[in-house]
Amino acid sequence: MSSRGSGGRSNGTLPQTKICQFKLVLLGDMAVGKSSLVLRFVKGQFDEFQETTIGAAFLAQSVCLDDTTVKFEIWDTAGQERYHSLAPMYYRGAQAAIVVFDITKPETFERAKAWVKELQRQASPNIVIALAGNKADLSEKRLVEYEEAQTYAEDTGLLFMETSAKTAMNVNELFLAIAKKMPKTDTQNPTHAARHRGVNLQDPDAHSTRACCGGN
Amino acid sequence: MAVHAPVNGTTAIPWRSSRRKLSLLEKLRGCQDAWSPEAPWDRERAHAAIRGAPAGSFLVVRDPVTSQPCLLCVSAGDQHGEVLDYSMKHTGKAFQLTESHLSFSDLPQLVLFYSLTRDVLTVCLSLPCWIYSTAEMNKERLSQLEPATWLSTPPEHQTEETPKKEPSIMMCSIQLTSSNGALCIINPLYIHEHGDEWLTHRPAALQLSNIRRERRLSTTRSWAGAGIQSKRAISLDQESKAAGEDGSGLIRAKSADCPLTPKTPTGVVLRRSSRDFVCSAPQRASTGSLSTPPMPGTPEQHRHSSPVPQSPHRVSWIEDGVWLPPPRPSSFLTPPSLELDSLSISSIEEEQETQIASAAPHHPSAHRLADKVIHRLSAVGQALGGLVSQKKRLTNRVVELSERKGTAFGEAVKGFVEMTLKGGSDPSGLTGAEFLQEVRSSLSSLREILLDYPDIQAILDSLTDLTDSEIDSLLELSLHKVALKPISSHLYSCIHTSRTNDGSFQRLQGNFLVLEKNGVEELGGSKGVGVPDPVTLERIQQRWASMHEAYSPNKKIQILLKVCKSIYHSMSANATSSPGSVFGADDFLPCLTWVLLRSNLVSLQVDTEYMMELLDPTQLQGEGGYYLTTLYASLFYITSFQPRLAARQLSVEAQHSINQWHRRRTLHCNKSRRSVQRRTIRRQAARRNSGTETESKSECGEENESENADVSEQRTENSSDSQWTVRENEGCEQELEDQPQTTVHAGFEPAAQQEVAAQEQEDGQSVCTETEEAEDDSDEELKDALR
Repeated sequence: MSSRGSGGRSNGTLPQTKICQFKLVLLGDMAVGKSSLVLRFVKGQFDEFQETTIGAAFLAQSVCLDDTTVKFEIWDTAGQERYHSLAPMYYRGAQAAIVVFDITKPETFERAKAWVKELQRQASPNIVIALAGNKADLSEKRLVEYEEAQTYAEDTGLLFMETSAKTAMNVNELFLAIAKKMPKTDTQNPTHAARHRGVNLQDPDAHSTRACCGGN
Repeated sequence: MAVHAPVNGTTAIPWRSSRRKLSLLEKLRGCQDAWSPEAPWDRERAHAAIRGAPAGSFLVVRDPVTSQPCLLCVSAGDQHGEVLDYSMKHTGKAFQLTESHLSFSDLPQLVLFYSLTRDVLTVCLSLPCWIYSTAEMNKERLSQLEPATWLSTPPEHQTEETPKKEPSIMMCSIQLTSSNGALCIINPLYIHEHGDEWLTHRPAALQLSNIRRERRLSTTRSWAGAGIQSKRAISLDQESKAAGEDGSGLIRAKSADCPLTPKTPTGVVLRRSSRDFVCSAPQRASTGSLSTPPMPGTPEQHRHSSPVPQSPHRVSWIEDGVWLPPPRPSSFLTPPSLELDSLSISSIEEEQETQIASAAPHHPSAHRLADKVIHRLSAVGQALGGLVSQKKRLTNRVVELSERKGTAFGEAVKGFVEMTLKGGSDPSGLTGAEFLQEVRSSLSSLREILLDYPDIQAILDSLTDLTDSEIDSLLELSLHKVALKPISSHLYSCIHTSRTNDGSFQRLQGNFLVLEKNGVEELGGSKGVGVPDPVTLERIQQRWASMHEAYSPNKKIQILLKVCKSIYHSMSANATSSPGSVFGADDFLPCLTWVLLRSNLVSLQVDTEYMMELLDPTQLQGEGGYYLTTLYASLFYITSFQPRLAARQLSVEAQHSINQWHRRRTLHCNKSRRSVQRRTIRRQAARRNSGTETESKSECGEENESENADVSEQRTENSSDSQWTVRENEGCEQELEDQPQTTVHAGFEPAAQQEVAAQEQEDGQSVCTETEEAEDDSDEELKDALR
């Protein structure tokens, strides 16, 4: 799954590529490391593709995948139970989601399952969901077994990785795996494509207006 | 959609007609013989022709032997009729004035450049005013012009349309216009350091503008909007003719099916950027991609350590220009206000804040940081400054069109304003969100009309370095000025009425009293997260107020982003634990809620709704979309706060309203922006609205079962608010929305006293606000941490 782990780190000398832009929502209990995970991903990338934002709740980052540049607009959500009801505002229209739990806290895994269920019920039908067991560096305190989460993910059709925002383990791999799974039929929003150099202007696909998300 | 893949970006696009506008540079090329006449013309003859002509009138004299341009003769415009000579050299690849470091791949580019910027000249070159007009001119006609014609036109009109009036541009950078009509902004220091060979690289064609134009003019035009359709039936042909002919002595071309092919496309085009691109321009230019004017961190920049936001790229010969007004410190930091997504924030920083920062004493590290940021921002600001004049032109033109009687656009705007002012308040007609949707769709329709004007189209086409969404945003802004400004206060009152009638405001106020005492940790923020101090809070209030005053939803969003930025800043700056840590949504949402509870909730609710319904759908994505969503979410949290119930038990009705809004405003974004489906979806969604209630009841039971765990969780969370625990077991069979708040208040008797106390406290805060506002410069720390 992570064989192409470094593929996304390829830098400046891009061939002409098409650009796909996706909205990715981050869900998970409070303090499971949602923001850290994304920050690790964003900061680990080449600045070339990084866009400055005012804060960490919204981040944008592109990765390169073969001939495609995948741009993620990453929408963080508040994990507190009391704000749960607000989540639909965030995941509506999202084409990808990362549901994060903390492998040292089983209750966060349960919460993650609830999120997955909710997403599958209420979010866009084609949403790509990844499950991330974060804080994998604390394996001595592990209370959620890898196999358990893996089995669950397989049963529910999710991408699954154990990650560590602290050591960067599997962080880029996770995003790349998602990027690979995204339908790349199109740039979805050509206006953004123009912002990046290297967009293939000859590519008729790049300017069709078909959406790549399966919005409802 | 087929993509025309022209070479050199000059293939005519087969839309509407085969007419094609020549760029200024092409026109200059076309009439090169007029200003750079052949052999019989020598220095004496040129001097004789120029003498007494207005300042800046010029001719280029060719070497009698090589026939290469060798001398630039310019009228100084003084009483003695002095004519100045500047020798030129030609290095095989490039032309340059002997005294200058700047060279150009051809003569017209040189001339154009010196018509914008003086450099080593005593006065700027002045081009005859007709050449600026948007009129079509064919090549043949241009080529027949003679030096006498060239010099005969008094150039005084020229200032109307040239960017000369924009000191912000000139102060900071040099402008060229490349063969594609794109603005090129090049840092003179860069050229000084790195030479100018890259200027003459010949990259592959730039086709963006063509493609963009195609998209913009996609034929599937949907039509909707109150009363505009019929008015649009006014013949657009007549209209466009009228618009074309009154353009002050324009020369209309019979056709433009002989488009000029620029011989030397430089391919240097400004690309908007939120970062520094150090020394990358040569590579870019040579790879044929969009390239960026470099903003290298030259030594001079770093030496320039004064916190006063002066241009790091300042060059003396530009500063003391004879025609430049004295520099205004803030002017070159004009925000471009173009787009709202993640790139946009770089624009937001440019305004005001650097100035504020400069007034404050810094500790050393902040100082260095602030400088760095200022440099970076002013560089971006300068690069964007070149667009300001075009933006103004666009806005002026739109305003002009809207005011002119009898034009399709003017009539449509008038009809729209009248109709809107009549609507919205009648309870039997459309109200609230539906009414705003009508307004939004009318705005879109007005935009379509606007796009039918050839001169609007021409201005837009000249903005080759903007993306589609940026152009749309520009158009929107102009449109807001003519269409939204006169009706915004009416819309406010419509929203207000509608929200008062449906009880939202009452709930908002009621819950405000319940929540206002909550600290940020009680609102769910992690321990030790900072909140705005009184001074910042006061400034935030001021920003909210200016947000309310802004009639353009785009402008409102920008202000919102500024507020969010100060909140972020406070979160880390005032944190009591682990300073410097970066906060995500887990903490931002509680902090925003905390701030909202100290703000005018009613006016924020109105503004939020205004933005959510009236923003152009393309602007709902990205960073602006995120923080608007968060503002909405936070207000929604306050409005729907039901402590006795599990939070997950969201009012189903309300959730439907979110879904409906989202469907209406976001999903169709992914479809063609001009597609018919968009409005179809919107209408359907609106209709669907009426059927939600029954549905919601049935979902209720199911939801409730899974919530038991949450209820208890909620109880522990709220254990400090002992008055809530009584109600924990109440289920969903109770009417969520109509739960009488009075009961709540009964159990919360000190509320009124607390309110008074809060008032006092606020008064105390506002006293403090007179003191120094110092923190904004280190606002950037978070950003740097993110970088």
